[in-house]
Amino acid sequence: MRIRAESLTRIYNMGTSKIIAVDNVNFDVSEEEFTAIVGRSGSGKSTLLNLIGLNDRPSSGKLLINNIDAFGLSNRELRKIRLRRMGFVFQTFNLFPVLSSVENVELPMALAGKSRETQREEAVRLLDAVGLGNRLTHRPKQLSMGEMQRVAIARALANDPEIVIADEPTGELDSKTAKEIIALLSDIHRTEKKTVIVATHDERVVEIVDTVYLIEDGKLTLETRQLQ
Amino acid sequence: MAMNTYIAFTCQVAWGLATRLLTFCFRNLFRRKVRTALCVIGVTLATAFVITIGVTTMRYTTVIKEMNVLFNGQVMVASKDAIVIQAIPIGGSMLPQSYTEERLLGIAGVEKTVPVLFVTPVGASGISQLVPVNFSIGIRVEDWKALLGPTPLKGNVGHLPSNESGNEIVAGISIADQYSWTVGSELKINGYSLNVSGILDTKLAILARSIIMPLELAQNIYNYKKSVNIITVKPAKGYSQQNLAQAIEQNVTYVNALTEEERNDIIQPVLAQIEAWSLDIQSVIVLMSLILVMTVTIMSVSERRRDFATLDAIGAPMSYVFRAVLVEASLIGVFGGVLGIVLGSVFALALASFYTSIPISQFFPGAFDIVPPLYMVEILVAVIGVCCIGGIIPAVNAARMRIAEVLRAEY
Repeated sequence: MRIRAESLTRIYNMGTSKIIAVDNVNFDVSEEEFTAIVGRSGSGKSTLLNLIGLNDRPSSGKLLINNIDAFGLSNRELRKIRLRRMGFVFQTFNLFPVLSSVENVELPMALAGKSRETQREEAVRLLDAVGLGNRLTHRPKQLSMGEMQRVAIARALANDPEIVIADEPTGELDSKTAKEIIALLSDIHRTEKKTVIVATHDERVVEIVDTVYLIEDGKLTLETRQLQ
Repeated sequence: MAMNTYIAFTCQVAWGLATRLLTFCFRNLFRRKVRTALCVIGVTLATAFVITIGVTTMRYTTVIKEMNVLFNGQVMVASKDAIVIQAIPIGGSMLPQSYTEERLLGIAGVEKTVPVLFVTPVGASGISQLVPVNFSIGIRVEDWKALLGPTPLKGNVGHLPSNESGNEIVAGISIADQYSWTVGSELKINGYSLNVSGILDTKLAILARSIIMPLELAQNIYNYKKSVNIITVKPAKGYSQQNLAQAIEQNVTYVNALTEEERNDIIQPVLAQIEAWSLDIQSVIVLMSLILVMTVTIMSVSERRRDFATLDAIGAPMSYVFRAVLVEASLIGVFGGVLGIVLGSVFALALASFYTSIPISQFFPGAFDIVPPLYMVEILVAVIGVCCIGGIIPAVNAARMRIAEVLRAEY
């Protein structure tokens, strides 16, 4: 999936004042590219990622997904894209506490209309792939932070999306677990051939990605690009 | 063939999604055990009160309404100072039986008269009880059909008393069950020994709670010699009840003659008011449970903003989120409704037992007569509906949650 932003701007009205969270951003992420958006806390990373993940609409500008203006589509169509073509990994995992690991991964597939058998087979395969084959029936509160993030990554891959968007995926994790998660994202990019966009301030992520963008006060600048 | 496979697959997916949604909702409710339990208890109590008030009101209004069945199409004559509730005279002076009958039979249009002595029990303070627990009815043996119609005797055992039988009575099935009377049982009223010659097998509350005896015997027992408190008058062919009642009041000045319509007119506003009161109280209770369910659901949705927003972020349709909240609210209605119906039915039986002094265990076999199954279903549907309505606003809020806004609000 190729994603291109043209003058993407997101302004929040806070009473009488305006906060420009994403300021006239332009970027181009090509298919199977591993991209990092790096910036300090409050720099606009999450806002930009929510725009890229179609979870929010911009105040102005365009986001072209395979040359189609995404924000020209209806909410219903955007939801379909989120369900079938995108996977989102949150900093705080956002797993459903009442569902087991396998059920959390099955849910997007159920919503996409896959059969029960396919859901289970695929969910077990994905959890196996992220190293949680023995934690299928555990609920989030029975898992460690690292395990929860792995389940979240498995869920993001549930409908075989073209792109995985991860917002500070290592933000809540200790350094050892963070390293494992970074390795896992790298694996997904390499073996599953997915486009991956990660917002982070973790330098270890920066070392393994193809492209690094820097975001500061909502403005995005290209830092490095080393596409193979 | 391909179409069939497609339909089967679609059904399978829909069923899978529905069961997953139900599991999701059940677990969410179970996760907040105390809150869910308190909310279910609230709905249970509300349902129980609605059932108790509804059933009790229904029971007594039905009893009052069915009293008119006894002497339909006839004019009821009672003393001017008596209050007549349908067919039952309350208070007032007694009528001299023979003298009044003679005068009535002298009026054109009177085909037949039936003198009746109704005796209701008197409470400790000397006032007739608000809800009489039993009646004694004295009526001439030859007129029994006018009162009982085709009412059979229980098990076709026994017989109706005759003029020669002296101290025989028949008892209504409810009062007989209460005191374990069977045919041949002996009982004493005001020092008179009486024999039960039959048990009336009837669903009419007034007859089921009555001891019916020959008129003269009743007059002796209750010391109303040669007196009655009501005389029913059957109009001759071609005479209307209204004209006959007017003629009676003109010729016999110490009586009131009430047509069936007039008797209904007296009681209808009272019944309507009782029913309106009952409905008002039930509406307030329903409104309170609506507010309770809405509050709890709003709290639950507000606590799980992140879950709902995540559902949106992973692409769940708005309708899925909307349904999830509605199903949770409805499940509270189902649990609260079912428990409330059981509890309310027991309350209603306990209340009936309290007012009639009949042990509650005797009400259990006929519980579905007191709390009709259709009424239970209506209440259950209404409670689930109310809970659903209570869940609509929170469900709309949940369906509108967006991950970007929720995460921004959290930081």
